[in-house]
Amino acid sequence: MKKAILYLNQFFGQIGGEELADHAPEIREGLVGPAMELNKQLGDEVEVTHTIICGDNFMGSRQEEAINTILGFLEGKEFDIFFAGPAFRAGRYGSACGNICKAVQDKFKVPTITSMNDENPGVEMFRKELFIFKGGASAAAMRNDVKAMAQFGLKLIKREELLPAEEEGYFGRGIRKQVWLNPPVVATERVIDMLLKKVHGQPFETELPIPKQDLVPIAKALTAEELSKLEVAVVTSGGIVPVGNPDRIQSASATKWGKYDISKLEDLVKGEFMTIHAGFDPMAANNDPDVIVPLDALRAYEKEGKIGGVYKYFYSTVGTGTTQAEAARMGKEIAAELVEAGVKAVILTST
Amino acid sequence: MKLELGNFYVKDIQFGEKTQYNNGILTINKNAALSVVKEDEHITEADIVIVKPGDKVRLVPVKEAIEPRHRIGGGPLFPGVTGDLLQAGDGKSHALKGCSVLVVGKHWGGFQDGLIDMSGEGAKYSYYSQLKNIVLVADTDENFEKREQQKKNHALRWAGMRLAEYIGAAVADLQPEEVEVYELPPVTKRSTETSKLPSVVMVLQPQSQMEELGYNDLCYGWDCNRMVPTFMHPNEVLDGAMISGSFMPCSSKWSTYDFQNFPMIKRLYQEHGKTVNFLGVIMSNLNVALEQKQRAAQFVAQMAKSLGADAAIVAEEGYGNPDADFIACIVALEDAGVKTIGLTNECTGRDGASQPLVTLDAKADAIVSCGNVSDLIILPPMETVIGELQALARDGLSGGWDNDTILGPSVREDGSIIMENNAMFCSDQVVGWSTKTMKEF
Repeated sequence: MKKAILYLNQFFGQIGGEELADHAPEIREGLVGPAMELNKQLGDEVEVTHTIICGDNFMGSRQEEAINTILGFLEGKEFDIFFAGPAFRAGRYGSACGNICKAVQDKFKVPTITSMNDENPGVEMFRKELFIFKGGASAAAMRNDVKAMAQFGLKLIKREELLPAEEEGYFGRGIRKQVWLNPPVVATERVIDMLLKKVHGQPFETELPIPKQDLVPIAKALTAEELSKLEVAVVTSGGIVPVGNPDRIQSASATKWGKYDISKLEDLVKGEFMTIHAGFDPMAANNDPDVIVPLDALRAYEKEGKIGGVYKYFYSTVGTGTTQAEAARMGKEIAAELVEAGVKAVILTST
Repeated sequence: MKLELGNFYVKDIQFGEKTQYNNGILTINKNAALSVVKEDEHITEADIVIVKPGDKVRLVPVKEAIEPRHRIGGGPLFPGVTGDLLQAGDGKSHALKGCSVLVVGKHWGGFQDGLIDMSGEGAKYSYYSQLKNIVLVADTDENFEKREQQKKNHALRWAGMRLAEYIGAAVADLQPEEVEVYELPPVTKRSTETSKLPSVVMVLQPQSQMEELGYNDLCYGWDCNRMVPTFMHPNEVLDGAMISGSFMPCSSKWSTYDFQNFPMIKRLYQEHGKTVNFLGVIMSNLNVALEQKQRAAQFVAQMAKSLGADAAIVAEEGYGNPDADFIACIVALEDAGVKTIGLTNECTGRDGASQPLVTLDAKADAIVSCGNVSDLIILPPMETVIGELQALARDGLSGGWDNDTILGPSVREDGSIIMENNAMFCSDQVVGWSTKTMKEF
């Protein structure tokens, strides 16, 4: 018989509500809460052997510790598949399910499945890497959501042919593959159908959805006169950080950004600053971090009076592999700080 | 312009004393056929093999497919290519249906060549596995390109066309079993009822990426790289005005057979007068320089607008760089107020995670997609190989490789193969046959 393990938060793990969200990770033999339904849905071929429970706050604020503890629990345990949730619309729970599934998948190379509502931010954070089933908004959907996860889990375990995301019921992972239509419909039919609908203003469905581009209009140019009075800030996705990377910004698929005080510096020098970006050869940037955050040039402009000054912090994250959703979130957070500080001119450098 | 295509449905093909067609049986005098092939002294070795659906045969490197036909009243099948220029698309031609002349290199393949399995799991990839094929397997003395990845394949492709003409002549004087009539009155001389229907142009983007002559698709013998978009009667395409080139990764390629039978054009004919007013074909191209792309898109949009098109279908023969032409053309048409449908394949990588087209635009909101060029395909050994199996690995076929640190070579010791869809002969069938699509997983 194949074996499965389920991850739950403190609420569904029957520890308690928000007041117990700091509950440290624990593992129990057997079935807790939704694990019973999951075990039932998995039938005779798969058994849920353990339930892991962790408080949402614990996972959110001490993520590395939480994940390492749970990976430790799993070390040496036999399991063929790992489930988390369903997390419904609960944001922190969704993020926790995503983080633990990803860590388990990476370390133990077993398939993982979770379930979230489409409004759960965890969907955008993890959909490219995980099977996240389209779940209900609240625990009222528990039975359906668990059933969907279980059925797909059985398919994975039996290595059955997997259908496209929409048919299986999980959020598409951005992986596009060719399939033969069944029953077959030749391209000419599909073209004529789409053409007639488009011409007559009826709804139609493209076979290649173009990702929505969220373009922001470029701001009006500043005059030299205006610029000479303004402090200029630098924001970069080139991964320049103080040596040691104090904020532990990821080298790829970043979800964090940092800000670093440069008010007393004239120049970013080798040995004090470096890049942690994994998407390009770092040699040039490590030899002279100014090639990405051009503080030396800005100081020169400041002396010449071309700019009013350099804002005291520069902001940094890593652009490689970073999802558009994460990039947009970080961009908004950084912009909010800059606006708050009254900064009106920013140089954004990429690599 | 009125084209009558007289069809003869080939039930079987055999070798015999005389090249003739009788009651569905096509008989070929092999020696006579080979002497037509060898009219070109560059052909050094040649043989003809008949293969049928279900045969345990793997063909590689396949260079071209042509439908055997005969132009009634004389004249070349491919005006400006196999003979003098004449007006194609107006008159009568006889066609041997259900069969094709396939041209296979006896040894050497190239980037643009492909593979066909006549049976087994691999058969589903190619349209040509459903046809009875007269396979010309030959070698040439074109030593300048023997070891080149890009081959013009001139001697072989032209030999294939001569062979198709020779075989087609077998039905020159016979009564066709069925006649397809393709007739479109001039754009301004159509019935009121038809003129009231949404008018549609078919925009074709045949392959023309090579600056050097000899590799690209030809339009009446003229290299498509050297033309600006032009208005054509659809009958011209169906009647030999266009021939396939020798450049594009094979799954994206349109063979000469594909042009002769262009399903999307035939489908528009079916709708003409019922749901649409089919204005005709705008023949564009796929040149590489940005200015050439912009010029082509501008010409297409202007022509569509001047013709009064309400809608357009844009089909591209290729992927990668040509995606820029494809999207630019759709955007230009949409900006001109022409509601446009795109017809293409995609390149999402072996893992399926790459951006599907090199450029994207929200205005391209109606696309029919026919497959992923980089889908990985693994097939067992095949009893008989016609051509040379090693060509897939050795000669730089777009979907083959001689070694890969993880996957190993494309051709394994036991004769099984691992390849990308890229090297399946004309398999994405963007001309309209494709029953493949793309789905998100």
